[in-house]
Amino acid sequence: MNLPDLAALKTGDASAWDEAFAWLWPTVFAVAKLKLEPYLPNEVQDVAIESIEQLVEKVTEVKSVEELRPLAASIAHHRAVSLLRERFAKKRGEGKTGSLDAQTQGGVIQNEPPSSDSPLEDLEQAELAQRLGKSLAELKPPMGEILSDFFLQGLRYEEIANKRGVAVGSVGVYLKRGLEAMRRIWLREENS
Amino acid sequence: MNDQSFFDLAMKVIARHATNEERANLNALLAQEPELRAEFERLETDARVAKDALSLITACTASTAEFPAYARELLQTAVRQTLGRPESVAKEPHRSLAWGWRRGLGLAGATVVLLVAVSVVHYKRERVQELAVKQEATPNDPAGHEPVLTASGRLLAPNGPGLLTEEAFKQAAAQNLPVIQLAIFDLGGDARRAEKNEVTTLEETWKGIPIQNLSNVSELQAWRWPNEVGQLEARIVYAPGVREVWLFGRFQGRVFQKTFPLDRDLATTLQQVKAFIQEPTKR
Repeated sequence: MNLPDLAALKTGDASAWDEAFAWLWPTVFAVAKLKLEPYLPNEVQDVAIESIEQLVEKVTEVKSVEELRPLAASIAHHRAVSLLRERFAKKRGEGKTGSLDAQTQGGVIQNEPPSSDSPLEDLEQAELAQRLGKSLAELKPPMGEILSDFFLQGLRYEEIANKRGVAVGSVGVYLKRGLEAMRRIWLREENS
Repeated sequence: MNDQSFFDLAMKVIARHATNEERANLNALLAQEPELRAEFERLETDARVAKDALSLITACTASTAEFPAYARELLQTAVRQTLGRPESVAKEPHRSLAWGWRRGLGLAGATVVLLVAVSVVHYKRERVQELAVKQEATPNDPAGHEPVLTASGRLLAPNGPGLLTEEAFKQAAAQNLPVIQLAIFDLGGDARRAEKNEVTTLEETWKGIPIQNLSNVSELQAWRWPNEVGQLEARIVYAPGVREVWLFGRFQGRVFQKTFPLDRDLATTLQQVKAFIQEPTKR
């Protein structure tokens, strides 16, 4: 898929936006799903749509089209986290929290989301978008894929080596370099 | 042990891929060298942050989910309201915005369409949003409140003057049988559509009242109230795409709006709407 034309997007060109919707949708949907599926699965699509709606308002501030996906992801992340906080704060306010055990109601898990001490939660939207953009630029293939295989898929060194066609010894090297890059990008403030 | 070997061993332990022997080796190393313990703790933090961040980074490169067709018009409306329209496209203005502008300018017909085409590029976001949320007064819409939807298809709460409170609507309903109108707001595309039995349920709840079929926001906004001044009017719209029933009321030029989510099924929700409208008259 071709990248949408940023200049056309800024003028509100309908066909450029049609391309952008299709291009941005997998990102906002994936982020909303990641955050909301265990707790508020019915809200995933709404949050994804609202995230693109919010992105439309910000498009004039963007300098390159590559910034759009990280920005969309950060918007979706913040909207999803806000929604979770709002819903569970409301539940607590109504005194309905009850047991922390999962309670199923209408197929939806009603338990509290685990509190997160992730530094991502405290990042402003623009800062999160910037760090995502930087990560995408720095984690060149196959480094990003290998990091995902290890940290998200839980694959072992040997499995990653087979999957990516690299030597087992190289997997650790890629991981080490990748993790150092992530540290520079994501833990910058803590280290300074 | 070199840096890379320590890193690999630490990663195995952090990812819980290590054998008992490997864990014991690492523990022995950490006990001997405090700086390695600090490094191991740093790697644990790095791994936790990487896991969180990688989920979002991976999402940025996702390509599988298909954009739902029903969201297109909603988002294109947001684009038009936020960014206006480029000159080349503005010659054929979108109906929903044309309605708003036509009313706002207080003119009619083709002359207005031409004016809109010329002036649309100069519209600033604030002005367009103002038009979308707080419509200007017209004989057809004296309160200046037409239905406005969010991009996700939810009904936006009206604001500004001319609103009828829930209490006032109920009081009016206690004294006047409302004139009822029915519609199904079916966006088409991938959006959930009204099923045949749901149409039947709507027909049977208010027998003898024709059901309008509305397929986009423009049609919803362009649906005119009957000109019966002083008569209480209740318009009931079933929106299957968002699983809601919308009640729009109008009395003496003031408007009322309430959303009923489909918590169980359409029949139950329609009975709630019916009870809401009829309850006061039963007293």
